[in-house]
Amino acid sequence: MTASVTGCSIDQDEEAIVIIGSGAGGGTLAHELTSKGIPVVVLEAGPYLAHDDYVNNEWESFNQMAWLDPRTTSGSWRIARDFPNLPAWLVKAVGGTTTHWSGATPRFKAHEFKTRSVYGRVEGANLLDWPIGIEDLAPYYDRAEKAMGSTHVHGRPPLPANNNYKVFANGAEKVGYKFYATGPYATNAEEYDGRPASIQDGFNFQGDKNKSKWSILVREMPRAEKTGLLDLRPRSQAVQVTHDAEGRADAVLYLDKDGNLHRQAAKLVCLAGNSIETPRLLLLSGTPRFPDGLANSSGQVGRNYMRHLTGTVWGYFDKPVRMYRGETMAGVISDESTHDPDRGFAGGYYMETISLGPAFMAAFVEPGAWGPDFTSLLDSYTNSAGMWIVGEDMPQETNRVTLNTNAKDENGLPVPNVHYDDHPNDIAMREHAYAAGEKVYQAVGAQGTHRTAPYPSTHNLGTARMSERPEDGVVDKWGRTHDVPNLFISDGSVFTTGAAANPTLTIVALAIRQAEYIADQLKTQQI
Amino acid sequence: MVFPAKYPSLNAMEMTEEARQTLIRVVRVAFPHECVPDGPYERTADKILTEAQNETWFRVALTQGLLSLNQLAGGDFQDLDDEAALRVLRRVEGTEFFGFVRRTTVLNLYDDDEVWAALGYEGASFDQGGYINRGFNDLDWLPDPRIDYPEGEQLPEIAPGALDVPSPAVESGGGEDSTNQPGATSSDMEEVKK
Ligand SMILES: Cc1cc2nc3c(=O)[nH]c(=O)nc-3n(C[C@H](O)[C@H](O)[C@H](O)COP(=O)(O)OP(=O)(O)OC[C@H]3O[C@@H](n4cnc5c(N)ncnc54)[C@H](O)[C@@H]3O)c2cc1C
Repeated sequence: MTASVTGCSIDQDEEAIVIIGSGAGGGTLAHELTSKGIPVVVLEAGPYLAHDDYVNNEWESFNQMAWLDPRTTSGSWRIARDFPNLPAWLVKAVGGTTTHWSGATPRFKAHEFKTRSVYGRVEGANLLDWPIGIEDLAPYYDRAEKAMGSTHVHGRPPLPANNNYKVFANGAEKVGYKFYATGPYATNAEEYDGRPASIQDGFNFQGDKNKSKWSILVREMPRAEKTGLLDLRPRSQAVQVTHDAEGRADAVLYLDKDGNLHRQAAKLVCLAGNSIETPRLLLLSGTPRFPDGLANSSGQVGRNYMRHLTGTVWGYFDKPVRMYRGETMAGVISDESTHDPDRGFAGGYYMETISLGPAFMAAFVEPGAWGPDFTSLLDSYTNSAGMWIVGEDMPQETNRVTLNTNAKDENGLPVPNVHYDDHPNDIAMREHAYAAGEKVYQAVGAQGTHRTAPYPSTHNLGTARMSERPEDGVVDKWGRTHDVPNLFISDGSVFTTGAAANPTLTIVALAIRQAEYIADQLKTQQI
Repeated sequence: MVFPAKYPSLNAMEMTEEARQTLIRVVRVAFPHECVPDGPYERTADKILTEAQNETWFRVALTQGLLSLNQLAGGDFQDLDDEAALRVLRRVEGTEFFGFVRRTTVLNLYDDDEVWAALGYEGASFDQGGYINRGFNDLDWLPDPRIDYPEGEQLPEIAPGALDVPSPAVESGGGEDSTNQPGATSSDMEEVKK
């Protein structure tokens, strides 16, 4: 008996297509494959939360949705000091982190697939061109944008300006930026795809009870379920992918909610646990044949971990802003997203509106701080405006996810350790971005500004990267591992480099493309 | 202050009211908000006491910490004015005691309806229909900005001339070599020394 929560139940001994993780990558893949008539088993470590379960409270929601299993950190990044056991802010629930995400959906730029060629050699960075280019992904970007209902494209109207955006956009205009707007943003400005328009409630990080925000939970999961071909097993955490004598993946071992181990036979395995759990699972699956972990002949599994530049700038005004009213991230300035080495760094960054409630503000605005300087930041809450910086960080071989055998999770498995050092390019870009953000707010009369250090990583990328040659990376241009022909990686781990853009649109586009490839390979029996 | 716990046995510890009052004062001095009434500070102190009840190490740290405050105050910490009290807290900033109080306060004081109201935050909104008709765009001290990209204009993806520049300005020195990114050691342009 499996723990499927849908009408469909696939036998554990039947060699199934097994997808591990139901987030942006895994959920999209499950929807695409089932809609092509291909049955799948989805193993999801977290519970099946519904929109009625969500709450308009930051900590309560966080404790309900977040991946809280222990992790450790090392390296010179501030996270290792501020949040040593919370390197990343991710969800453990059906729908993955798309239930938490805000919705910004910029595309990669053409050159961002070719950074080794365009940026040249950057000392200490492990740059590599993607084996695909914008021309390969463009049609899938179109499909992903339509699926996600991105505003500003394909006839979807823009969201209206909320208070936080008014400050942000006026500041942008004053400093001479041109390319600012309220999107692209995957939340409905008007009814679309059976989901209502945003009511601007401001709790989009908390799941969005109104269902105006695209997530795997509102769209792909119910549709996949309707095909009758989805066997979805929540609270089922994969702990190993096993292989046969030929070195092909043949099963997935997973733990149910009571800690009992199960085996699901597999003819094809797609791994989409996000960029910390995906390499962890590969490393946990080492055998004499794959001594350094499954699919790791290159030694690149877990390496080149990227998390985007990130940082936040707050502006404090003498009049009310009430930034928390309305869509959290419906505002972007793109002018700095270009590649312009004259600024003193390679790559670019976006500025995007952000808002936190007092509970998260207190925890994140200046971690470790207290006293009157700290409380004055919160006293200005009503008059605060906020923007988040998201830019390309350099892949480095030494930034990596490894198994920490000194620390065990509740199942007795070694926890992942996330090591990260900022590259000098990252530091130069962050400085530039902080200063640019401050200028935006000063231009509209900010009395003060504050720079907030990176939050636990919401964008986690690169730990099983795509490469033309097997020795440079883990997967090929379809996301198929170079070493194991029936093992695919279907999440942001495959990013060869991170670009400036928020990653989810690209993860979804890659998954749609991968689903076509897998369906085709199955049809022609090449897998 | 006498020993902050009521019972000689630390395992059955219950804090004296005096110890509780000291703790409330600590929280207020460390996180001063003129606009916040006493209730949230009291609730936060009680939360700290409850957490200490559940963890031996916090219990020990809290008991020790409260005693040291009085020692550093040269009497009763509660008698110090704001500035003097803040100075004492700065001296214990690095202790387990203060770290525990700080963390617990940050997580709880600001997760409180009364504090939200004082700071001007309105809390849950979905059940009231969000802010679509309740002021999501009521900021009136700036003009209404455009929400779309400028028509007919394209952001240049690469700055003019960038491709002629061999590589970006930032060079860190050191770093490992890799197949696709040969480092400085495999460059044949090193300075030649005799
Ligand atoms: C607050 C916040 C805001 C964000 N805003 C944006 C934004 O505006 N734009 C944007 O592009 N991105 C945004 N993101 C990032 C976005 O959510 C992620 O990029 C995206 O969800 C990643 O997709 P994924 O498929 O790689 O992983 P996830 O969506 O994280 O899904 C992974 C799933 O796998 C499950 N899993 C992991 N390990 C196992 C295992 N061993 N067995 C079974 N299941 C497992 C997890 O429980 C999870 O459900 C945001 C993230 C956060 C936290």
